[in-house]
Amino acid sequence: MNNLTLKAEGLNKSYGSNHVLRDLDVELLPGKIYGLIGRNGSGKTTLLGCLTGQNTFQSGTVTCGGEKVWENRRALEQICFSRELPDTVMGSRNGQKIRHYLEAGATFFPHWDREYAKALMAEFGLDEKKKIYALSRGQRSMVTILIALASRAPITILDEPVAGLDVVMREHFYRLLLEEFGRSERTFVVSTHIIEEAASVFEEVLFLDGGKIVEHAPVDELVDQFRYVSGLAEEVDRACAGLTVVSRQDLGRRRTATVRGGEEELEKLSAFDVDVAPLNLQNVFVALCGQEHPQP
Amino acid sequence: MRGTLNDQSLIYLQIAAMIEDDILRGVYREEEQVPSTNELARVYNINPATAGKGLNLLAGEGILYKRRGLGMFVSPGAAEKVKDKRRAAFVQRYVAPMVREGQSLGLSRGELLALVEKAMEEGADK
Repeated sequence: MNNLTLKAEGLNKSYGSNHVLRDLDVELLPGKIYGLIGRNGSGKTTLLGCLTGQNTFQSGTVTCGGEKVWENRRALEQICFSRELPDTVMGSRNGQKIRHYLEAGATFFPHWDREYAKALMAEFGLDEKKKIYALSRGQRSMVTILIALASRAPITILDEPVAGLDVVMREHFYRLLLEEFGRSERTFVVSTHIIEEAASVFEEVLFLDGGKIVEHAPVDELVDQFRYVSGLAEEVDRACAGLTVVSRQDLGRRRTATVRGGEEELEKLSAFDVDVAPLNLQNVFVALCGQEHPQP
Repeated sequence: MRGTLNDQSLIYLQIAAMIEDDILRGVYREEEQVPSTNELARVYNINPATAGKGLNLLAGEGILYKRRGLGMFVSPGAAEKVKDKRRAAFVQRYVAPMVREGQSLGLSRGELLALVEKAMEEGADK
């Protein structure tokens, strides 16, 4: 039974003058699928690297099941961080074969499932004799997904696993993920910026912005706090009094406000002559983290 | 089960509504088992926790009941309970928006009531 909580407290990480993570706190409980969402350059990969002992950081602590993760073999064996395979190694193209990656997985991960790996190789139509540089971007993504799933690690982290995949393969991946999740008690963390098609797969989402986790909540609870309210500008303003207005857009006398509030406050909107519409997860992300500030 | 999910309302509510529809249509009859959390998760590609939330909502309303170790079953009288629930929401969901739209079009009370009666007569002819 997986009872490992992965936890970061007061995490600070800079690259030179670029302060990527700022006093970041996050707690990932066992047996859930988490979605990590952030814009390009928001530090998703850096955060995941810090959580899995692959990146150093200036201050803070990262623990897994109460034990420090950094250079702790016992903790690290419970964690699989699957990231994009490098195109080149030390300046020359990556001539490793898929087989080498599978062997490394079998050596490193104590729960590695050889049969599962074999079944996934067949399912993805991959040839283990193929060299990494000769694979398409999609095939490279499949290899990282395969290693993540077959590791059977209690905590498995996938960084942009679907980035190179077409829409059919993306759906296929989420199906495989849910199947494996359904029969195991593994924790999965999936980062992605293709939000909407993944929203129903996540139990909880984390929004990373400005070096902090700015939202961490069950998907439906978060989404249900938001509404679009539109109509005559003055009426919209009257309706939105008492709600947090996240953004406003005007078109002539028509105003559309994106608002946030509790169930009771949102229900009061029905008393006004305005149109009220729900947001989806992607809309919520854009409303909260979509300011046009230049990315570092 | 039928249909697909949309992003116009929360997924667990859509799952609950689909099961209610199927109870009204007789897809699931009293004392019959409804799909499990994992089956729903697989068919709709959704997180099992979300599917479970939809089932638990109906269990909380007495429309489904849990048999330990077996799964969720349709309660006796479930169809009536679904109808009661939807009748209670009928004014807010259908009548109030209709009245509001009628008013913004300048329809009088008499005109609106006449239209409702006409629609009912046409419905009865079919």
